[in-house]
Amino acid sequence: MMQKKVCMLGGFAVGKTSLVRRFVSNVFSEHYHTTIGVTVEKKSVKIDDRDVTLVLWDLYGEDEFQRVRDSYLRGSSGYILVMDGTRRATLDTALALRQTAMRTVGTVPFIAIINKADVRSEWEIDERAIEQLREQGWTVLFGSAKLGQGVEELFVTLATQIVQTSPIPSDSL
Amino acid sequence: MKSWPGNLALHNESLFNAVLSTLDMAVFEREEDSAEFRLQGLPPDWWHLWVGPANGTVLDLGQCSPFLRDYLVGAHPIWEGQSGATEKSGPWTEPDRQGGTMTLEATALLIGSKKLLLIERLGSGFEEMGAIVQRARERMLAEERTAKSYRKTETRLISELEASERTKDDALALLQHLGLAALVLDERGHITFASDRGLEILGMTAEAVIGQEWEQALPLHKQDRVPIRELIDTASDPRKTCVARIEGPRPRWVEIEVHGDPRHPGRHIVIVHDRTELHALRRVLNEQASFHDLVGKSPTMLRTYQLVRDVAQVDTTVLIEGETGTGKELIARAIHSCSGRKHKPFIAANCAGLTDSILTSQLFGHKRGAFTGAVNDQQGLFEAAEGGTLFLDEIGDIPPQVQTALLRVLQEKEITRLGEAKPRKVDVRVVAATHHNLSEDVVRGSFRADLLYRIRIARVQLPPLRERREDIPLLAQSFLGQICTATGKTIERLNPDTLRLLMSHAWPGNVRELKSAIEFAVISCKAKEVLPIDLPPEINNAPVVPSSSVWIPLPNRDEKSRFLAALSDAKGNRTEAARRLGVSRATFYRRLVELDIDPR
Ligand SMILES: Nc1nc2c(ncn2[C@@H]2O[C@H](COP(=O)(O)OP(=O)(O)OP(=O)(O)O)[C@@H](O)[C@H]2O)c(=O)[nH]1
Ligand SMILES: [Mg+2]
Repeated sequence: MMQKKVCMLGGFAVGKTSLVRRFVSNVFSEHYHTTIGVTVEKKSVKIDDRDVTLVLWDLYGEDEFQRVRDSYLRGSSGYILVMDGTRRATLDTALALRQTAMRTVGTVPFIAIINKADVRSEWEIDERAIEQLREQGWTVLFGSAKLGQGVEELFVTLATQIVQTSPIPSDSL
Repeated sequence: MKSWPGNLALHNESLFNAVLSTLDMAVFEREEDSAEFRLQGLPPDWWHLWVGPANGTVLDLGQCSPFLRDYLVGAHPIWEGQSGATEKSGPWTEPDRQGGTMTLEATALLIGSKKLLLIERLGSGFEEMGAIVQRARERMLAEERTAKSYRKTETRLISELEASERTKDDALALLQHLGLAALVLDERGHITFASDRGLEILGMTAEAVIGQEWEQALPLHKQDRVPIRELIDTASDPRKTCVARIEGPRPRWVEIEVHGDPRHPGRHIVIVHDRTELHALRRVLNEQASFHDLVGKSPTMLRTYQLVRDVAQVDTTVLIEGETGTGKELIARAIHSCSGRKHKPFIAANCAGLTDSILTSQLFGHKRGAFTGAVNDQQGLFEAAEGGTLFLDEIGDIPPQVQTALLRVLQEKEITRLGEAKPRKVDVRVVAATHHNLSEDVVRGSFRADLLYRIRIARVQLPPLRERREDIPLLAQSFLGQICTATGKTIERLNPDTLRLLMSHAWPGNVRELKSAIEFAVISCKAKEVLPIDLPPEINNAPVVPSSSVWIPLPNRDEKSRFLAALSDAKGNRTEAARRLGVSRATFYRRLVELDIDPR
């Protein structure tokens, strides 16, 4: 069975843990409990009739207290850059983390998701900024861990890209 | 920790276990040539919570945890490198067998040739650190939310401000586009806004008016400010307006409207309408309303004025026809004044009631001794009017002999004084007038047909007053003004009821009767306005005829009783009786004869 390491990257409190928990256990909590270090979760998805187990590394959010360790990223087949639509600054953090990821894992597939689409009226990240990301070749999705919107799509899309870029089925560690 | 003795565990196993349990760590040594690790000494209490009941001491740790498996791959360089090197994995969280989690951290190290792996459970120190980070982040989120709500309020305020600015701009653009001249005054009467058109009308720049008190800024006459001030004080009624004159190099007449600002009580919107053109037109119209001494702007009178102008341009004889009191002599004077003869004499002669010889002598003059009482040579009116105009009133009353003489004068342009043989050249324009129907007189044989054709080359027909009632207010007001000036009385106006009576009266004596009625009223009047009671009784007591109805001339019988009443009111004084009837003395006498009234 194919296992793929995927890192959840993003500023603190953007919803990395919430997205993983929604995807893996289909639960959501309003309560914010910051992640310290890493929690690893697994979930299998079917891509083109093949079972792929995503090993999801839910990392702590990057901020002035904690920088993401390069060692955590090592061996990732892909990553997810999570932003919080209601906080403009999380876009800048995502851009910085993208640089870190490029440096440590190179050009592996990644997807950007702007979370908290359930409170779209409060968004600070505007169409213009999103357009700029897309112009740079980013895949930018909108989603809500709270409502479960776009969550399955997020992980399946990334898994598909990963499978397409590493088509050898024996790639299981 | 720099160099452990390679056989520490072997030499003092109990000490080693005591150290491990105190540090709460699991220590493994990597087996050569395998991915397995051998547990050293006793594992800490938490170990079994994680991996389950111990099954041997040799473990494939990579199977236990995906995190650890990744880490072990990364730790290889340490074990291949120099003795004493270490590398920490960083914390990670694993579920425990009781439904909770534990946070662990691994350290790879090389001691001598031994490849060791330490796994420790991060305890209270780590939790404290986590709690601090949690609090710090929660605090940052809360602050961000506050800042955001401030930003939102700010954005909303800015956009509201922009929207209101836009609305204001739109309203202004509309105002400017409509060319509406408007000023806005604040509570203190200071001008806070003036539209372009408003400035244009005032002939001022925005700098000169904005912020200024309106009374100071606007170039208005002192007396014009009073009604404007009143409008501002009672701005509740927007239908009230007042007219004012804007002084300056280009003076203007404006009509001013004041509205209270509905949103700001105390502030006012002043709308200024330029009425200069209208004013000029009205002035022209007013000028038209009188012509020389004639008053009236009814279509028939306006046509008459034009006819007079036309007739004045040619030098022919003119016949003016009209009822008594319609102002025939005024027409004659106007013709004279408009003509090229205006600097020469205008002489009026009434031909009524004069005998043959008197009239002949009056008109043509006489030689001394021509008749009894002719003590001197005397020139006649024709000679007196040399170069000018001779007005012959009541020409229908001229006796036949004089008609013949007159005809000759008109044909030959020469007169012969009574008692002389030699004719004298005269250059006189004759304007005749009559209240008769001369054509009928010709038929009856009392007037010469050839004379009629001679004098009727041009014809001006004056309408009776009842056919131009719309001129009555103008005439009455004009007479009121004239009479007040002459008598020194200050009567400002005619009461509306008075005017209504004047409008409905039949006016058989026409304008002259109207004038004497006003004279009568001015004498009686005790107030600032003429009341119906002040009018002569025949007007005041007359049943009111609706003005739209057609006036039916009084039959002669009624005229006779009116004449008799007038005579008795005037206690037999004929001049006074004629005045009361609004007719000339000549007409009065003539009518007395016609109506067969004995004046005594
Ligand atoms: N409205 C809304 N809130 C969400 C959504 N996703 C997450 N949250 C809330 O956002 C807060 C942070 O969520 P987490 O999932 O803990 O965020 P994180 O990125 O894992 O945070 P760190 O671990 O501190 O980096 C929590 O209070 C969540 O309830 C969402 O889709 N909509
Ligand atoms: Mg988290």
